[in-house]
Amino acid sequence: MSKPKVAFFDFTSCEGCQLSILNLETELLELLDIIDIVEFREAMSEKSDTYDIAVIEGSFSRDKDLKRLKKIRETAGVVIAMGSCAHIGGINSLRNNQTREDVQRIVYPDNPTLYETNKKALPISGAITVDAFVPGCPVDVKEFVKIVKNLVLGKAPGLPTYPVCVECKMNENTCVYEYGKTCLGPIVRAGCDAVCTSNGGVCIGCRGLIPNPNINSQKDIMEKYGLDMNLIMDSMNLFMTEEPKEV
Amino acid sequence: MTTVLNKQSTKDSVFDGLGKALGDYKIAALTRREGKILFDYVKDVREIEQEYVPTVLSPKKFFFPQEEIILEYTFDGKVTAKTNPEKIILFGVRPCDISGMKILDEAFSESHGDPNYLSKRENSIIIGIDCKSVCDEDAFCFRVNSQNPESGFDIMLHDIGNEYSMTIFSDKGKEFAETYFDSTLLDYAALAKFNIEKKEAFAKSGGAWEDLDNLPEIFEENSNHKIWETEAERCLSCGSCIMVCPTCYCFDVVDELALSMKVGDRLRRWDACMLRSFAEVAGGENFREEVENRVKHRINRKFNFLMKKHNQAVCIGCGRCVRACLAEISPVTIVEELTKTSRALKLEEKNENLYLPEKVTITKVEQFTENEKFFEVEFDNGRSLGHDPGQFVQLSILGIGEAAISISSPPSFGSRFEMVVRTVGDVTSKLHTLGEGDHLFIRGPFGHGFDDQIQKKMEGKHILYIAGGIGYVPLRSLINLTLKHPEKYKKISILYGCRTPEDQMFKDELQYISSLGGNIELLETVDIGNDKWLKNTGVITELIPMAKFDHLNTVAIICGPPVMYKFVIQTLKRHRLTTDNMYVSLERRMKCGVGKCGHCQIDDLYVCQCGPVFRFSEIEDKEEAL
Repeated sequence: MSKPKVAFFDFTSCEGCQLSILNLETELLELLDIIDIVEFREAMSEKSDTYDIAVIEGSFSRDKDLKRLKKIRETAGVVIAMGSCAHIGGINSLRNNQTREDVQRIVYPDNPTLYETNKKALPISGAITVDAFVPGCPVDVKEFVKIVKNLVLGKAPGLPTYPVCVECKMNENTCVYEYGKTCLGPIVRAGCDAVCTSNGGVCIGCRGLIPNPNINSQKDIMEKYGLDMNLIMDSMNLFMTEEPKEV
Repeated sequence: MTTVLNKQSTKDSVFDGLGKALGDYKIAALTRREGKILFDYVKDVREIEQEYVPTVLSPKKFFFPQEEIILEYTFDGKVTAKTNPEKIILFGVRPCDISGMKILDEAFSESHGDPNYLSKRENSIIIGIDCKSVCDEDAFCFRVNSQNPESGFDIMLHDIGNEYSMTIFSDKGKEFAETYFDSTLLDYAALAKFNIEKKEAFAKSGGAWEDLDNLPEIFEENSNHKIWETEAERCLSCGSCIMVCPTCYCFDVVDELALSMKVGDRLRRWDACMLRSFAEVAGGENFREEVENRVKHRINRKFNFLMKKHNQAVCIGCGRCVRACLAEISPVTIVEELTKTSRALKLEEKNENLYLPEKVTITKVEQFTENEKFFEVEFDNGRSLGHDPGQFVQLSILGIGEAAISISSPPSFGSRFEMVVRTVGDVTSKLHTLGEGDHLFIRGPFGHGFDDQIQKKMEGKHILYIAGGIGYVPLRSLINLTLKHPEKYKKISILYGCRTPEDQMFKDELQYISSLGGNIELLETVDIGNDKWLKNTGVITELIPMAKFDHLNTVAIICGPPVMYKFVIQTLKRHRLTTDNMYVSLERRMKCGVGKCGHCQIDDLYVCQCGPVFRFSEIEDKEEAL
């Protein structure tokens, strides 16, 4: 079996997911036993015109990126959207409820049009077809390795379809709601080993919604715990503005 | 046959003994880790917490862990089964969890014994600590009789002060106690006292469900009960209930390959039938796609499917799922509701004569206005009315007679319901002289109310409630139902007109409604105001334009005195609302409630059967309607 060629690309993002991959260190070397990395701007200067798997970090937020994205799609057999920005739009999409003009003015008050941007920051699937996702902000590198491994083996990527509560309970955490906090765990995709709730935080939804979430019930619960509808929507929109929340 | 031995040890001796055993066994006990209390391995007996608080997970995790390797393999085909038969002591397990362990023992040993569970279990010693009282308000062990397990442990300790009285159940337990504890003969009187005190403390919380043994039958009878739908509506399918359940033992099996791609493991991991993907096959077909089916399946496993197999409820009442459920779904509510329905069904079978009323007791009375009183009543036989909003009952007082009265409380599973009654005739005048504790008779519910079909049609629309005077009462049932889920509607406008401010009913409730905000508005008017009345004065039709509705997206629901309908409907029509989107609730004289006596007839319709709720387009051409 020849090793598949993998290229990393970035769009509108903080590049933190790629940094997480570089932090893998020992596993990264092992990973290189099963793949060849042919392009990775953050780690090497080489580039490649051919690759089998494209890993894309970042949202699609500028029309001029469309050409590059299409080129990647044409070249790669498999396109992986890596991290919240690429997977669901993430933090970048937070501004989608404002007009482009307002957003541009906030960025460059004196010369708004210098900030070149579309009306909306979208997930990569808003521009091209995506074959697999690695959720999270940043991605869980173990999950990244698992998904790459599964794809190389010809298996499905293997993302959980159940919510964070499952992993949170397996870790035997006391529910954060018992401390009067609110958490999106019941509607957000697991796979992170409930890292936030297991370390004193709450789930803020960086991994996107599970399929068929019960948004109504989640809203009712958050309301019961004292949040008004604006706060509830704010918390659901932090990462998930572009996630379909209509029932 | 194992003999039960009774001995006694000082608490110090028990903990000293455990300290010694630490050299030979791993000991798991209740302990504190980063602020949480849970069962975990301890290195020193001083880490053991003596005061019990319910843990998130049960000690099941030591024999059936969240995730474990069952096979190891190399890619060249060498496969090894993996078990991990460690010698462990589980110390301080509570009676409910021991009852749960007994169920897991049965499940994992029947037909093909499960090597991973059994190897761990056979090498373990379980030392229980008996409960003196119910641990919290969510626990319901006493409902399913799990608080006094007769097996499933090796030693059970009963706290009798400075000493533990010990029930030793197994040879393993006997050997362990003899090796590690300094025991004396049992003080039987002290153990008897413990048992009596425990019994009394548990009795305070209540006894076992009367129908406990019949639950499988009751669940079969109620497979289409409405509670499944209402619980499923709130259910998040988050799986928490199952993750924390001591008697759930479903798992998933997955292969994980090392990065080298040369060796790998086959793991089993807890899985949950509440999760959407649980019953999905590779082709995409999902055999329990609907939440309702999954909720049903889970609860049926506990009280029906597996109960038949294990001859006992497969729920131990530990309360973990109740504590874990943010949507407040509880097996207790479901079991008790289904039981109640089954009982009522049996009563109904006996009570087929349609003219035979059932006895209710007045539980609350409140004077609303000069002529109107609020009554809450409760069925003596414990059944729930099971009505749709807009339906009515025939209320009777023996010797006086029967009268049709609308129900003003929203549908509920409880055995109580509410009415507001104006003194107009003999029955209602007599009723006004009665108070809490007095009895009445009820037949019903009768008629066609705001059924599921109408409720569905209302979703996503601007709902315009138009109530005049006592017309608020029959609408209140539906109003309160819709206010539970305002997000289902575009907007909810409640238009309420009365003659004078004194004629307003449910004043506290109105105040609450007007404070809700969001998409809910309350518009009030009176014909004749007074100094304190600061809201609108005038007829109710004046409120209609204030609700600013879009005629294409609005449903109007109207109830009031006969004269009101004509003017309200004219005004709505002027605002281009079609009669298809208007619903009215009509009042008529009724004697039988079942379309026989003839009093309520409008042309070819019986109001008591086809109504009292009608889509206005159905009756607008009927001469006798308004």
